[in-house]
Amino acid sequence: MSNEIEETMKRIQSHKGVVGTIVVNSEGIPIKSTLDNTTTVQYSGLISSLADKARSVVRDLDPSNDLTFLRIRSKKHEIMVAPDKEFILIVIQNPTE
Amino acid sequence: MFSVKMKPAMSDRKAELERKKAKLQALREEKDRRKREKEMKDVEEAANRVESGSDKRDLDEMLRSLGVAPVPDVLSSLSTVNSLTPDQSINYTPDTSLQPNSLHNNVAQVKKKQPVLTVVPVQTTNIQPQEVVVYTRQTQTTASGHERDGIFGSSILSKCYMEDWWRPRKDEYNLNPGLEWEDEFTVLTYDDPQGEDEESSLPHLGGFGSKLPPGILPHGLPQVKEVQPAVTAVEQEQAKQEVKEVRELSEEEKQMIILSEDFQRFVDRAGRVMERALGETVDIYADYSGLGGDEGLDEKSHQRISFNRWFYDERWSKNRCVTSLDWSLQYPELLLSSYNNNDESPNDPDGVALIWNTKYKKTTPEYVFHCQSPVMNAKFARFHPNLVLGGTYSGQIVLWDNRVQKRTPIQRTPLSASAHTHPVYCMHVVGTQNAHNLISISTDGRLCSWSLEMLSQPQETMELQRSQSRSVAVTCLDFPHSDVNNFVVGSEEGAAFSACRHGAKVGVTDTYDGHQGPITGISVNAVQGGIDFSHMFLTSSIDWTIKLWSLKDTKPIYTFEDNGDYVLDVAWSPTHPALFAAVDGGGRLDLWNLNQDTEVPAAGLTVDGNPALNRVSWTPSGLHVTVGDNTGKIWVYDVAENFAHPRHDEWNKFLYTTQELRSNQVDEELEKLNLGISNTPLTSMSSISSSPLR
Repeated sequence: MSNEIEETMKRIQSHKGVVGTIVVNSEGIPIKSTLDNTTTVQYSGLISSLADKARSVVRDLDPSNDLTFLRIRSKKHEIMVAPDKEFILIVIQNPTE
Repeated sequence: MFSVKMKPAMSDRKAELERKKAKLQALREEKDRRKREKEMKDVEEAANRVESGSDKRDLDEMLRSLGVAPVPDVLSSLSTVNSLTPDQSINYTPDTSLQPNSLHNNVAQVKKKQPVLTVVPVQTTNIQPQEVVVYTRQTQTTASGHERDGIFGSSILSKCYMEDWWRPRKDEYNLNPGLEWEDEFTVLTYDDPQGEDEESSLPHLGGFGSKLPPGILPHGLPQVKEVQPAVTAVEQEQAKQEVKEVRELSEEEKQMIILSEDFQRFVDRAGRVMERALGETVDIYADYSGLGGDEGLDEKSHQRISFNRWFYDERWSKNRCVTSLDWSLQYPELLLSSYNNNDESPNDPDGVALIWNTKYKKTTPEYVFHCQSPVMNAKFARFHPNLVLGGTYSGQIVLWDNRVQKRTPIQRTPLSASAHTHPVYCMHVVGTQNAHNLISISTDGRLCSWSLEMLSQPQETMELQRSQSRSVAVTCLDFPHSDVNNFVVGSEEGAAFSACRHGAKVGVTDTYDGHQGPITGISVNAVQGGIDFSHMFLTSSIDWTIKLWSLKDTKPIYTFEDNGDYVLDVAWSPTHPALFAAVDGGGRLDLWNLNQDTEVPAAGLTVDGNPALNRVSWTPSGLHVTVGDNTGKIWVYDVAENFAHPRHDEWNKFLYTTQELRSNQVDEELEKLNLGISNTPLTSMSSISSSPLR
């Protein structure tokens, strides 16, 4: 079964413009990553806290609501965050021009 | 030898005496000093101290001047006295002359006194050198994403650190993982940011030196100093232990987590969403003011069929022939395609079914299913949005469920004589939400009706036989819209049959002979609204022709002979009563509009690369047509709306067309008869050359 995970991760990683893919657990500890350790740790810490904050914003505005996707567009990259109850999938992509 | 002269000699002598005494004294002092220095080391550990009056007071004053509490740090009697005198002799030179007296006195006193040993409590102090400047105002700044959040090991590389080297920093490099309070900070003077290597910063108990980042010189210069509120060593240790433990756990359990069910489900779901998001590369910053606005290309309105996209998966659909296409009722954007086996990779599963999503630009399938036998036909279970049915070459019917993580079927029909033993090319789900069945027909003519809840045994079976025990080798099947009983099948012998499942005459009702080769595709007109044309059906065959039939006539109404290759499939448009699509083995896709022209297709194109096109299917909206070829690629074409969309009079026009076609047919046959028989006159409705020969 793990090869399906590998397949999915590989597919995402090989998508056009994708710089890196990280899977983080709810505590902010990276589980799987295609980037080097330092960057991974950096991203996981920052992004998971941001995702938590975003989720709390959504829920505070409407308690029956929940965060489903988070997209951060910057000048250089786009960071796409797919949060879940226990894990977070982070993908960094260069926007195609 | 003194030269004696009374008056000057006296003063000289006195001076000389004094000088000599001073010299002696100096010598004695030096000797004593050396002795003292030796004894000083021993005396520092001594417990007994003897206070000596004024000398001690002076010492206390000295010590007080340094800011240290007066301590009865008195050396042993002799060495104390010795030490005092050199110090005081250094500092208070005018008293030197007095010293010998007091010294002698003291010594004499001490020597007289018996040493009385008493236990005296001792306090020791270490006088540390002047410490580094501490700017306490920095502690007022707020922490920024610190250890508090439980994110251990986050290191922030900031080269701008050097600019404010004098500022005491929060523990950015996590050099001191034991710091529990946000106010805590370590003061560094050199910033060699090698401290981010968290794994090496193991907790050290005591000894601040281990926490020094490299580059800090421990001598003289300002040193690292921790400003901590009362944190005991034990707590520190625990905190450090915790940090260490969490990280170790994650490394050890990563593999466990990866193999866990939750994780797989998460990756499956999140991966799917992510792929869709990745596919949508819409540039939201498009600026039309500067650009020329290149929207003018691709005027699709005048082009009746235009290429939209293709669906192809390197892994799963390569080198496999597309055997069927189906659309989901509940999610009209989902396309199901089934594939034959891949000759070039015998280790891959033989049968593959993929679900594609036409709504997103994602180029990979939504779901991948496979099984051990080539899938000849796949259908969405119409009333169960999660179930996919496949009919295989082995005769088994397999059921996949997209709710489970498995890609293999969750249910299979038995391979027994009660079910099918021949390839199942045709399947159809008929009925309503509450009462529906799966109808499957194999190439030995056996028809089985199944309930989706129980695939272990067919509910009923039937043999389709034409004229007394000659089985029909069924290759294709179609039901008129919302009809559960009557259906039409095409066979390998080139004949089409209509049959019914229940009723008075179960089995084959009519035979429609006409084709000279096996029938590859059959389609019943399914357009709703207007006049009902569900008695009209089309068949395509290996004999290069397409024939239009009516259920009421055993002879074809019309034959379309425009193709130059095997016609492999035909499909009516779901919205336009007179429009249908046909594909052939030469890569040609044709759209026929019978209201416009019956001789030639109204629109057509050849697919890139000329693959043999095996299947054609319309989207439920009637605006797109999809073709599957024998290399595993599915091509999606847009049909121009004015072409695909029927006008109000299309139904009437088609009625007229069919009547015309029929009459032409009759004419032709009559002509044939006339020529053939040449004596029996028959009145025809609109015969042109009939001679009223009665």
